[in-house]
Amino acid sequence: MAQLTPGGTLMQIARALVIATSFALLGGCASEVVRIAEPLQAVSEAERKWIEITEDAQIVFASGYGRTLPAGSLWEHRGNVRQGAAYRRIKGVFTIEGAHVHEAYIVISNDQLVGFYLPVEQAYSPAQPVSLKLRPRENR
Amino acid sequence: MKTIYKVAVALLVLLTAACASGPKFNTVESGLSPLPGGKARIYFYRSTALGVGIQPEIYLNGAVVGKAVAHGVFFVDQNPGNMEVSTASEVEKKLTFGIGAGETRYVKCAVGLGVLVYRIIPELVDEAEARKEIAELAYTGPGNGLPGK
Repeated sequence: MAQLTPGGTLMQIARALVIATSFALLGGCASEVVRIAEPLQAVSEAERKWIEITEDAQIVFASGYGRTLPAGSLWEHRGNVRQGAAYRRIKGVFTIEGAHVHEAYIVISNDQLVGFYLPVEQAYSPAQPVSLKLRPRENR
Repeated sequence: MKTIYKVAVALLVLLTAACASGPKFNTVESGLSPLPGGKARIYFYRSTALGVGIQPEIYLNGAVVGKAVAHGVFFVDQNPGNMEVSTASEVEKKLTFGIGAGETRYVKCAVGLGVLVYRIIPELVDEAEARKEIAELAYTGPGNGLPGK
């Protein structure tokens, strides 16, 4: 028989509700992804080199959401912004998330992920730098 | 005991009524219209019955293209370009992505816990994962993706 008394089941339910509501509120109120208008200097199709990430890399966005860049994932050089080279995920998708979700390229400089390029918004979004283990790959 | 039985039956009826009806996608896929030249195809699907009572409309670049019906899948063919997907859910969470001519992309209507009710969150999903998930779903679009049209 459930104890509907403080300290019993009622308290446990109340605690669970508070936690669930907190998570829901957090999810509903995440901050917008920071965006800086930035043109992409696109590279031609013939110049698009591929790279492979060889070790998992964890990314946490300012919004609190995160993503894993998985080992074995392939990325194609699509262009350059002032902050580095922009790579689009091949055979997969990559998005960043805040209040909304945006398809994104990763921006790499000196083997470090330094931010993201949002092709729809044509904007750069900075990130806490994360070291990446990379190697070049043959296209296709 | 009778009350529990009645509630269970009512819930089952509700769940059945709220889930998508139609042939399984993998049984009709071969008969679907091929992607017209110069167009791009976007699939929308919802693979879970969680929050089955919530079936918001799906907007693509501001126009309604269908509903996020539990266990349903449909597609739309569009001109290539930038896409913005949103749903008329408790909390609006937009998804933006680009698509090129001849490309196919997959948008999953994921279900998240909202403040008061479940909410539908559009997610971009890679082809391999999406193909697995939509195979057994009910196809709800006659070709252009508008259910019932």
